[in-house]
Amino acid sequence: MPTVHFTDAAGATTTINANTGDSVMETAVRNGVTAIVAECGGSLSCATCHVFVAESDLPTLEPMGEMEDEMLYGTAVDREDNSRLSCQLRMTEGQDLHVTTPETQV
Amino acid sequence: MSSNNVAAGVCPMGHGAAAPADHHGYEPFTMENPFPSYTNLRNEQPVMFDERVGLYVVTRYDDVKAVFEDWETFSSENAQAPVRKRGPQATKIMNDGGFTTYSGLSARRPPEHTRIRAIAQKAFTPRRFKALEPSIRANVIDSIEVMSARESGTGDIVKDLAYAIPTITILTLIGADTSQVDTYKRWSDSRAAMTWGDLSDEEQIPHAHNLVEYWAECLRLVAHAHEHGGDNLTADLVKAQSEGAEITDHEIASLLYSLLFAGHETTTTLISNCVRVLLSHREAWEQVVHNPKAISAAIDEVLRYSGSIVGWRRKALKDTEVAGVKIPEGAELLLLMGAANRDENRFQDPEAFDIARPNAREHLSFGFGIHYCLGNMLAKLQAKIALEELTSRIPSLELIDGEGIEFRKNLSFRVPEYVNVSWKEAQA
Repeated sequence: MPTVHFTDAAGATTTINANTGDSVMETAVRNGVTAIVAECGGSLSCATCHVFVAESDLPTLEPMGEMEDEMLYGTAVDREDNSRLSCQLRMTEGQDLHVTTPETQV
Repeated sequence: MSSNNVAAGVCPMGHGAAAPADHHGYEPFTMENPFPSYTNLRNEQPVMFDERVGLYVVTRYDDVKAVFEDWETFSSENAQAPVRKRGPQATKIMNDGGFTTYSGLSARRPPEHTRIRAIAQKAFTPRRFKALEPSIRANVIDSIEVMSARESGTGDIVKDLAYAIPTITILTLIGADTSQVDTYKRWSDSRAAMTWGDLSDEEQIPHAHNLVEYWAECLRLVAHAHEHGGDNLTADLVKAQSEGAEITDHEIASLLYSLLFAGHETTTTLISNCVRVLLSHREAWEQVVHNPKAISAAIDEVLRYSGSIVGWRRKALKDTEVAGVKIPEGAELLLLMGAANRDENRFQDPEAFDIARPNAREHLSFGFGIHYCLGNMLAKLQAKIALEELTSRIPSLELIDGEGIEFRKNLSFRVPEYVNVSWKEAQA
């Protein structure tokens, strides 16, 4: 079962078992990770599911699409090199993913 | 209706879909204060079939959101269908006038919707909005200065500010003529009336003429972009097409037909509502005057408390259920986001306007899922700029007879006709 570790801006970590094929955003919303707002529900229209991915995990992810890249310019906390929108990250079998959530999404 | 309830074998206390004679106070086209009826509906009959409009009216938050999310069962294909059947005169005018569009995006379905939205979205990005911010702000300041210079010391926020600002913005983005604000507003009013209004066949006639003109202009804009290019969204779409993006000229023109309406109509209402609702809760207005950082959260709360669109339609593609009520294949639903946004099971003390509400952003005024409002960020940006400039320049602004404001008759759009204000003295 894939696992996501969400670390908030204050440093507290929540570990959640995810379903293979679900997005990181869906995993967060269904498990009460409030640092992921995900207003639009995954249609790449709101940029409120922003996460910073642990450097060591970056190579395991599918590359970013053009629209995700554009929407990352609309995040509340400025993007960094390891920024992703968690609605675009699909959990794969056995994946162990570490992300940090920004101080605010809005 | 009670005999129907019995005939249908449903509980007369309201657990079936058939509506009682009083429809719990709900009047589909009356927008002055629909909220008491929304509360009744949520409590007494959260899924009610309203035979006056042929729609299953859904009012609880979880149900509205679930229907939006399940686009495979609940199609958006009826989102732009006239609530009142188009009459013979209007039909003839539109056929003769070559009116062939239906929807840009909102009533399209995957995979067509997915394909076109992906192309449209690329031309509608945060970076493009940010680039527009200085000109939006300059327009806002101009409008406020003109209004505040008036000797009467009174104004109408709808007419003096909210009407032109978002219209100029979207016309600029699309590459349309920004001197034609009045024309686009006339066409947009006709579109709102023809699709969501309660018009007789006779009343439809002038609107039908307007829609013919409007669609012809959308087609002309696409043709113009083919010939002359340009630095705007229309030219980008035409260029994308020439570089292999799968989108036809008719689809681009239909997208313009959508954006040149949706891109300002609801933002005009949002800006008007921001001022109206904040001024009618004076302590909230004072808070944003003293702390402009609270403006963004205040806008979210306005969207929850008084959204520009309070109801939106879907169509069931198979036999299904909503909240235990059977919905037959082909049935049409009206999701009342205005009611969902005041569901006590989601929002604490839901009837209170509270700009510090922690979960205001969970409102459904922009929809949810694959059709989520493409322009949500641009709408909020413009409302934010309007409030920043208004609160700093005219902090003494006061609402005149807020209780008496009239709202346009419509099934979906809750539009204040005017927001009259006065002030003591504007800041230089």
